[in-house]
Formats: sequence, C-alpha cells, structure tokens
Amino acid sequence: MARGNLWVRIGIVLAVLAAAAVATALYLVFFVAPLEATMGIVQKIFYFHVGSAMNMMLAFGVCALAGATYLASRPRSARVAAVADAIGIATAEVGVALGAIVLVTGPLWAKVAWGTYWTWEPRLTLSLMVFLLFVAYLALRAYAGSDRFGRGVAAGLSILGLPGIYFIRVAVERWGGAHPQVVYKGGLTHPGMRQAFFASVIAMLLVTATLVLMRTLVERRRQQVDALFLEIDRTTG
Amino acid sequence: MIRAWRQFVAIVRKDLVVEFRTREILLTMALFSMLLVIVFAFAFLSDPTRARDYGPGIIWVTVLFASTIGQNRLFDRERENGCLWSLLLSPTGAGTIFLAKATTQLVFTLLMELPTLLLILVFFDLPVVRPGAFAGALVLGTVALSLVGTLFSAMLMNARMKEVLLPLVTYPLLVPVVIAGVKVTSVAVGAPVAEDPGTWLRFLLGFDMIFAVATWFLFGRMIRA
Repeated sequence: MARGNLWVRIGIVLAVLAAAAVATALYLVFFVAPLEATMGIVQKIFYFHVGSAMNMMLAFGVCALAGATYLASRPRSARVAAVADAIGIATAEVGVALGAIVLVTGPLWAKVAWGTYWTWEPRLTLSLMVFLLFVAYLALRAYAGSDRFGRGVAAGLSILGLPGIYFIRVAVERWGGAHPQVVYKGGLTHPGMRQAFFASVIAMLLVTATLVLMRTLVERRRQQVDALFLEIDRTTG
Repeated sequence: MIRAWRQFVAIVRKDLVVEFRTREILLTMALFSMLLVIVFAFAFLSDPTRARDYGPGIIWVTVLFASTIGQNRLFDRERENGCLWSLLLSPTGAGTIFLAKATTQLVFTLLMELPTLLLILVFFDLPVVRPGAFAGALVLGTVALSLVGTLFSAMLMNARMKEVLLPLVTYPLLVPVVIAGVKVTSVAVGAPVAEDPGTWLRFLLGFDMIFAVATWFLFGRMIRA
C-alpha cells in the first residue's frame, strides 16, 4: 500500500497549502482590497464567487476527461478504468458543491449590483446548466446502479456534456439577441483588488484540488473494499 | 456497408411492424401530447391576442415531453427475454442497432407531432407564415431529441427510476435544441421577433451532426457492460 500512502501524503500537503492560500486570500480580500465605491462590502462576494465558477468549469472538464478514459480503458485495463471512475465521481461531487456556492453567492451579489436576484444572462445560464449536468451525473451514479452499466452511463453523460456545454453557450449567448453580452466581470482597477482576486482564484483551485484528490482516494478505498467483499463471497459462497 | 444497411432496415422494419400492430407507444404519446395541449390552452389562453408569443414555446414543450414518454417505452420490448443482448450477440454492430432504434423513435415522434401540431395551430390560432422553416425546425429538433433520448433510454433500460432519470439526464443536453427550435418556430408563425431563422436552423443541423456521431460512437462503448 506504499503507493496509497504517497497519495495520502500529497493530499495532506495540498490541504495545508490550500488552507494557507485561503487564509491569505481572506486577508487580502478583507484587509488589503479597498471597499468598492457603489456596492460596499457586498462586492467582496465576487472574489470567491468567480474562483468557484472557474473551478466548477475545470471540474467539469476533468470529469468529462475521466469519463472518456473510463470508457476507453474499461475493456483493456481494469485499474486505469477504476481510477478514472473514481476521479469522475470525485469531480462531480466537488463540482456540485462549487456550483451550489456559485448559484447562492451569485444572486446575493446580483441583488445589490443589478437590483435583481437572477437574470437569464449567458454566464449565469451556463453556470446553471453545468450545475444541472453535474446533478444529473450524480443522480445516474446513485440510481442507475453502481455496477459497470451505471458507471458507463454517467461517463457517457459527462462526455456528451462537453459538446452540450458548447452548444448551450452558443445558444444562450444568442438567445437574448444578436449582440454579445457585456462582460460584467471587468473593472478591477485597484492593484489591491487584483491581488485579492488572484489569491482567491488560486485558493479555490487548491481547495478544489484537495477535495477532488481526497474524494478520489476515498472512492479507491471503497472500490478495494467492494472487491474484497466479492472475493469473500466468491470463495465462501 | 451493404450488410449494415440491410441489418438497419431489418431492425427498423421489425420495430415499426410490431408497433403498428399494437400502437402502444404511438397512442400513449399522441394522447399525452393532446391532453398537454389542452392544459396549455387553459393555462395560457386568457390572452389569446398574444398567442404568437407563447405558441412556439408550447409547441416545443409538448414535443419534448411527449417524446420523453415514448422514449421511456422504446426499449421495453428489448428488455423482455433479453432481446437487446441477443441483438448485440448477433453480427450486427452496436452502432447499427443504435441508429435503427433512434430512427424508430424519430418516426414515432414525427407521427405523434402531426395531430398535435394541428391541434395547437387550431386552438391557438397560429398561422404558418413560413412552412419551410416550421417543418425544418421540427424535423431537425426531433432528430436531436431522438438521438439523445434513444442513447439514454437504452442505457437506463434496467434502471430503477428510469422514468425520472431519463428527463433529468436528457433535458440539460437538449436545452439548446429547445432554444433554437422556439426561435425558428416564432419566426415561422409570424411572431414579431428579429431573428434570422437560417442561423438557428444551421445551429440545429450542427447539433444534429455532432450528436449523431457522438451518440452513435458512445452507444457501443457504453452498452458493453
């Protein structure tokens, strides 16, 4: 189990780094970045909100990649398939958590910034759809069986999600009219704000990586326990 | 290639013949869609002057829901007696089986759409100003619905909660189809929207092409448990 221990140690190191990064980011956000003129302290939601959104998209990409690896390696190498499958469920669960953060902090910020909790602006709509795809993935894993069939369906969904997300993005961008939407995430003029923004994105990235790694390790353990159960059943049944 | 075509035709013909004898799927889809149209009429028609604004949306919601009803039953007959596994064991390629089932689903949904659309056009008093765009959007959209729906209907054939899982999984992927379809249909019924139906029809065509290849390829990978 030497290899397993190595990854656990990497996970602990990552967790410590993530904690340090979050602490740094919080300090920068609350003590270095200035209060924004019109929105005041509510603007500071923005820092971790954007980091969460970016990492949710990254998690989706990794989930799709893991799904493709799973389906491709399933007939050849059971171990690679098992690892890919574990990464798939890990990124999906962390992605749902990140999506929940994005979809709660976003409206809280929007109510003060735009006067309304929700608009059907392209970026919001896209985040909602990615979140829904993650939820569908988890539902498949939970209810379509945890056998090879169920895992294959979920992997297929995550793969189809990639062109799906592209088409959703094109469709919602043109949905509200032919002109492209104004980017609302601009205007970080103060260097203190830029530092805080950069730090919070890095912090969320480290947190995401830690959570995904830990969840993958847990899933791998669960797979090994399952295999042992099957072995016991087979030899004593 | 010729053999694959003959296998494809054989499976499609088998499904159509069996279905036309019992008409189970066709009747359930048609009845459900017509009832849905009536419910929509009561829900929306308090202001009939603006029917052109929400009419296209109603068309697409009805088509989407009714096609899901059909997809739930599409593999019912294959599940009994292990027919799907027998099909897969035969020299027929998995991709051919998938395309045959998707085509069957396409035919059923298009057949269901005919009376449904007639009912909607009559109840909501919608003119078909541009019949080419109207038909094109519906055909291309139904192809997309059939491809995605057939893939997941097959995979969820034995799942416990497949009636709930199927829409949960397919609808997020099909949202672009609904957006594009409603845009084109709005122009086709003469709603005052400034949209270019050509762009959205090309969008639907691109969606169909990419998803046809993707679903066709993935079916073989996913079905081999």
